[in-house]
Amino acid sequence: MLLVLSEAQRADLGYLARAGAAAVGELGRLAVELLRRGAAPRACEAAARKLNIDVDTIQHGVEGLTYLLTESSKLMISETDFQESIHVLGFSDELNKLLLQLYLDNRKEIRSVLGELAPKLPSYHNLEWRLDVQLASRSLRQQIKPAVTIKLHLNENDDQTAHVLQTDPSTLLHLIQQLEQALGEMKTNHCRRIVRNMK
Amino acid sequence: MELSAYAQGGWRLLGDPRRFPRRPYAALLRAAFRSLLLGHPHQGLDDPDLKDIDPTVLKHCHAAAAMCILEAGKQKADVSAISACLEDCKLDKERIEQFCTEYQKNKDALEILLGSIGRSPVHITDVSWRLEYQIKNNQLHKTYQPSYLVTLNVENSDSGSHPDVSFSCTMEQLQDQEGREESSIKIIQVYFSCLLK
Repeated sequence: MLLVLSEAQRADLGYLARAGAAAVGELGRLAVELLRRGAAPRACEAAARKLNIDVDTIQHGVEGLTYLLTESSKLMISETDFQESIHVLGFSDELNKLLLQLYLDNRKEIRSVLGELAPKLPSYHNLEWRLDVQLASRSLRQQIKPAVTIKLHLNENDDQTAHVLQTDPSTLLHLIQQLEQALGEMKTNHCRRIVRNMK
Repeated sequence: MELSAYAQGGWRLLGDPRRFPRRPYAALLRAAFRSLLLGHPHQGLDDPDLKDIDPTVLKHCHAAAAMCILEAGKQKADVSAISACLEDCKLDKERIEQFCTEYQKNKDALEILLGSIGRSPVHITDVSWRLEYQIKNNQLHKTYQPSYLVTLNVENSDSGSHPDVSFSCTMEQLQDQEGREESSIKIIQVYFSCLLK
């Protein structure tokens, strides 16, 4: 799958040729930082001073690189497709190799950052449990009533929540059986076939 | 086992054959147990055997019977404790025996009812799950990751209903969760096998 670059994106990437192959490493680092932490105009100014290039070139170059790396990582395009996609920019072989290496080196991390942006449900974080035996209550004396108290920690919208729940041993056994079935389902031929064919 | 003065007063009326002949006494006992166990306060009070009883007396005696049943259930009182208590209210042997027979019949249901009253954390009653295979989302393509959506069905002893707890997890996290639950069950099994020895 090839990347389709708009005129504006090609124009931004064109600044990389102006910056030179030596600067592309630094621009790539800035692009990944931009993805990690957001815009940092001071970082671009510092890079411009360090590389002795005007700030405008740095900013356009970083924006172009950010788009190139993000989109390529999002689509998980192959090395061949990446090289063919940037071929239209008419860069030197050295610059093309540098860009490909930048993509391969940072693809995993960029995908991880993009993964954080996906819609999320509350997700499992941890589970603590405690076994109690109720011996008496206001309404009934002399009891032996086992109960398992569970503290379920979930991640919800960057916060952690804890749910205190309780169950009895027979329901707990039932829960375990159900979850075992759930886990077993992934090993069935049907699921394995889907996973194999999707890749 | 002790009853309040009000309840004792009701039982003295129940022990009086002029106020409460044999059949109405039996009908009132049945009504008292039914109203507690089935949850309808006046269940059985429309029994034809009770129609000739003064309504005020009927209400007093019904309340007294219910209080005695609940106190006996709460204390897990045995027949001798119940008999001693009712003897203090001047009931004859036959009527005491009738009450004890009715109590023994309903003891287990009463214990379950009393045991269910009280505060406790939200109780898990069931679990449902869904296995999905993520292919892509608007931020990331080719994610190719299985994940589970687990919903714990819960109920609250106070208000009855409570929103279910849902969460997503990976296979490894589900294994971790299941492993911890299994180890809790093993502890329970060890504990109870020691208790029964």
